[in-house]
Amino acid sequence: MPRIELKGITKRFGEIVAVKDVNLTIEDKEYVTLLGPSGCGKTTLVKIISGIWEPTEGEVLIDGKRMNEVPVEDRDLGYVFQNIALFPHMTVLSNATYAPIVKDFPVEERDKIAQEVLDLVDLLDRKKFFPGELSTGTQQKAGLARALASQAKLLILDEPMSALDARVRVDLRYELRRLVKDLGLTAVHVTHDQEEASSVSDRIVVMRAGRIVEIDSPENLYNNPKSIFTANFVGEMNFLQGAINKLRDYWAIIELRNQEYLTLSNRDFRMGAAIILAMRPENLRVEELRGTRLGNAIPGRIKSIRFMGSYLRYEVLLASDDHVFVDSFAGEEFKEGEQVAVSFDETNILTFPAPREGLSEVIKLE
Amino acid sequence: MPRIPSIRLEGLSKRFDGIVAADDISLEVKDGEYIVILGPTGAGKTTLLKMIAGLTPPDSGKIFVDGKRVDNLPPEDRGMVYLSQTYALFRHMTVWDNTKFGPTVKDWDESKCDMLAREMLNLVRLYDRRTARPDELSGGMKQRNALARALATDVKILLLDEPLRALDARLRIELRYELARLTSDLGITALHVTHDQEIAMTMADKVAVLRKGRIEQLGRPEEIYDNPARPFICHFVGEANFFEGTVHSVSEDHSELEGEGHVLRARPTNLPQGSEACVGIKTENVRLLDGVVDGQNHIPAKVVRKLFLGRLVSIVIETDDGKMLHVKTPSSTGAGFSKGMEVTAHLEPSKCIIFPIPEKGLKEELEVE
Repeated sequence: MPRIELKGITKRFGEIVAVKDVNLTIEDKEYVTLLGPSGCGKTTLVKIISGIWEPTEGEVLIDGKRMNEVPVEDRDLGYVFQNIALFPHMTVLSNATYAPIVKDFPVEERDKIAQEVLDLVDLLDRKKFFPGELSTGTQQKAGLARALASQAKLLILDEPMSALDARVRVDLRYELRRLVKDLGLTAVHVTHDQEEASSVSDRIVVMRAGRIVEIDSPENLYNNPKSIFTANFVGEMNFLQGAINKLRDYWAIIELRNQEYLTLSNRDFRMGAAIILAMRPENLRVEELRGTRLGNAIPGRIKSIRFMGSYLRYEVLLASDDHVFVDSFAGEEFKEGEQVAVSFDETNILTFPAPREGLSEVIKLE
Repeated sequence: MPRIPSIRLEGLSKRFDGIVAADDISLEVKDGEYIVILGPTGAGKTTLLKMIAGLTPPDSGKIFVDGKRVDNLPPEDRGMVYLSQTYALFRHMTVWDNTKFGPTVKDWDESKCDMLAREMLNLVRLYDRRTARPDELSGGMKQRNALARALATDVKILLLDEPLRALDARLRIELRYELARLTSDLGITALHVTHDQEIAMTMADKVAVLRKGRIEQLGRPEEIYDNPARPFICHFVGEANFFEGTVHSVSEDHSELEGEGHVLRARPTNLPQGSEACVGIKTENVRLLDGVVDGQNHIPAKVVRKLFLGRLVSIVIETDDGKMLHVKTPSSTGAGFSKGMEVTAHLEPSKCIIFPIPEKGLKEELEVE
């Protein structure tokens, strides 16, 4: 029943602060993903949970017991590695038997456990194969089986999909979540891929520069992110910059550059305040530029059109000098260079106070 | 403005220990085109690129640049630069020295080398970081430094081996726009290999789908997506569901496939009535209706799983006879469906693509590894 508590965790490497004052509780049987760009501290944090590294400051508790200084082999966890890391000279079955042997399980149990975990990942028919004879996706399933064979209730997944082809990853995601839920495990998964995080997790911890930005369910992070960084990192986002030009009880007029205006409901805005408007490409529409403009629409010119499979992506340069992407499922109705209007539904627009350090600084990925 | 080069490959073949890495590959790349070679791991993508670059000799076949044969020339005389997956920057050199390395080796005069290095670093937005060493850069910056170094040699043919693979998912989305913009601004002919169909769709002027050392289809992204030449491509570019059966009827504007308990209407076909065939429909083209709704190409089913992916949801439904169908739909549309619900899958006939049954069977055909 592993419940993990991190209290005031800081990790320094020389002068570099990799993780800074992180507090986080992961409940028993919860699937939690640490998500963030390279260098955000997610890998450091998972290594601290698993005991590969010791925190410089702070406490790691598992089921209420302090785990600092407890070595990784005594923390009772299964670890799935980024580079798969199977023993190349051992068969799939021997790899799966490894943990039970190291843990000194009775001989008769070792084989039974190995068979069981291979059955779980649907690899029984490949048990006599060597890793080199398997595709990378199948190898990682064997890696998962090996981690499960330790019988630990805590599973650590350190970028488990990154060595795999895009198509293979998609199949494995569902398997992962199903196994964790069926076996009642607590899982901590590290990734930089928001789609992967969304599809496996109960909750996602968004990290940046060694700190937690926010924690929420995949749906909430996508639909109602609380920070500009998350809004941009979890899925694609268009940003417009504006200022509150008129303010009434129920509505506000936002002025964009070049005297373009939008009307939004009043969300506790302050008169004159600079704000950032965020909108997803799939929530915008490209429309004909009409003589009179109704509702929220900004004129613009189509800069490029990209075929994306089931939809088209228009790149539009708005009269407000903002660039936006608009995804359309309606087929190619407009041409490159055409003057159009981009319209949207007020309820699909997120607003944030303009950050002091500037928009590009807060959404920076590297 | 110097001419932008074209490339022509004629019957390139290569075997390693009996394994076919390239099987009679012919391809024409026009000047200034951005060609993406798309295929799963082991398709022979890197081998093909290395043969063109002159790093792996082909067993047979010819390579032409602007109509001139180059396969007998050493790599440095082919007028192209190969950018490997690992970037291969010199770790002890600064960003500036790494970038200037190419032109310096070419023995151009100092001021030209400086000018090229400055220009390229500005282009990839790394000029401010010119005194940093590779270890001090993020993955995306290293990638851009490697690109600047490649471009500073002033070559007009760029061979890119999974240049975005090592990057974070989010950064990859940003850099793919940048890379496409750069090559087009500089008038460069680019060959880019990847396993990632989204990169192919968003960056390519033309996509060449490679499978087991063969180019199976060459076309604009929308052609590859809408009119795949074989089931493998239908499935690899966008993921698809398949039904197997026999051709039940054919007419000018549609065909019908009978199999797996259904008579499905599909696009027209040249296949004769009674022949073995399969129908593929992309997961993004399956429409879900609430409840049981009778109609042409309607299949009743039950939702068995749903995964939230962000912009899209992935839904798996099980038909009455136990067949699993995969559906991808925008989150806004998918929000109304949940596990256990009775639904109807509508397979729009114009989106149902009919193929002859592949030689080695459908299962082997669809394997992506």
